[in-house]
Amino acid sequence: MHSHHSIFCITPPHMLQEVSRNGTSAQREMAQRTLTASEVFRARRVSLGGGVKASPLASSLASAVSGGKQRTIYDAKQGSNLPGSMVRGEGDPASSDPAVNEAYDGCGTTYDLYLNAFGRDSIDNHGLPLNSTVHFQKGYDNAFWDGEQMVYGDGDEDLPVSERLFNRFTKSLDVIGHELTHGVTQYEANLKYSNQPGALNESMSDVFGSLVKQYQRMHTAAEADWIIGEGLFTSNVNGVGIRSMKAPGSAYNDPVLGKDPQPAHMNNYVNTVEDNGGVHINSGIPNHAFYVIAIELGGFAWEKAGLIWYKTLTEKLKADSSFMDAANLTFQAATELYGSGSLEEQAVQKGWAEVGITLSGPPATNTGCFNSVMRAIGLG
Amino acid sequence: MQIHFERTGGFMGRKISLSLNLNEIPAEQAATLRTLIEEANFLTIEDPPPDAESARDQFIYMVAIETDKIHHIIHTTDTSMPATLRPLIENLSSLAHSGRR
Repeated sequence: MHSHHSIFCITPPHMLQEVSRNGTSAQREMAQRTLTASEVFRARRVSLGGGVKASPLASSLASAVSGGKQRTIYDAKQGSNLPGSMVRGEGDPASSDPAVNEAYDGCGTTYDLYLNAFGRDSIDNHGLPLNSTVHFQKGYDNAFWDGEQMVYGDGDEDLPVSERLFNRFTKSLDVIGHELTHGVTQYEANLKYSNQPGALNESMSDVFGSLVKQYQRMHTAAEADWIIGEGLFTSNVNGVGIRSMKAPGSAYNDPVLGKDPQPAHMNNYVNTVEDNGGVHINSGIPNHAFYVIAIELGGFAWEKAGLIWYKTLTEKLKADSSFMDAANLTFQAATELYGSGSLEEQAVQKGWAEVGITLSGPPATNTGCFNSVMRAIGLG
Repeated sequence: MQIHFERTGGFMGRKISLSLNLNEIPAEQAATLRTLIEEANFLTIEDPPPDAESARDQFIYMVAIETDKIHHIIHTTDTSMPATLRPLIENLSSLAHSGRR
């Protein structure tokens, strides 16, 4: 899925400089990364060949692009400037601040799942450093991915204990997996953040966020709680978490927060302009389809259902894919992985049927261009 | 002067909102808000759609201010809002929170 980056490998540096100044946002980013990598390799050559020691920055960058876990945690100290002050780097001893350690460890577990279950090296599959900021703003009951890093608030720490609804957002491992997965999606299908593609984007983050937690606990699909945001609510809230993949719409029912609005079936799809077209609401539908498939297949959910979803995210979905596209493409992925007529294929069909989506045949995938080229040169 | 405030999006996707008439709230609170509106240069802030090209789960804020002569509305996010606007957003968020119980 990274073939669109390869143009930068054969582009001379002066042209990369031009692209880094005048290209689109994505082009600028890729050009800058290529230039940075080139600088690192030049520094390495100098260091190895000439006996000249590379600068600390070049050494640090060389380490960063060499792959492996590269976690850095920053502290915004309740302000809004990102990334804030660095408080823990890769391999550093644990901090006295639990939020720092939770962000560090959660990133590590997420990295491990992606590597061990799917062979993926970080967010971009090229060892991209994992940067996180904790203590963002004061009383900030949220976590987000800003396009480059993860950011976590402390919940309602500014309110009296009896009025607090939210704990700090690093407390929930699946939230960390959720935010990091937004980065993976950005580098892969790059699903648009509105309406059905946006809900699929959110659902991908919930699916892999939940798998991170299941992986850490070594829970099978049957043992898992399938709750997203477990531990985020204080005891003042009547709820077990933010969302339930097992039973969307049942995670909370509270006098202050209201009732979990997620649907589990297309019959209850919510048409709204708020929240980018209800991306955090309608994600309940593909979330539940994944849950049904994982239960149907049994065992550890990342081994089969997760692999089907990962293949779909990285090889098949497009930016504007709908729920129906996702259903057809996960079916296609199951066929490619496990064969036509396989139990896995049947499970995928059943999962989508339970949320009201009947498979209709595969749409064009994001490998269409690649396949056309392969056909043109006689290899397709 | 009336202020309408909404916060949507976020990890939870939950909306909170607040409507205030500055003539009907305690004078001290109204004075604070007037100061924050002035310091934010609120009426000069343009309202482009929030730049959410690759940001995910951010809060999306809407603030509208109405008087007999003015109706100005803006949308912004945590990472795109002008620094001068942040104190007003934080104050309104806090007020919206404090009215929840």
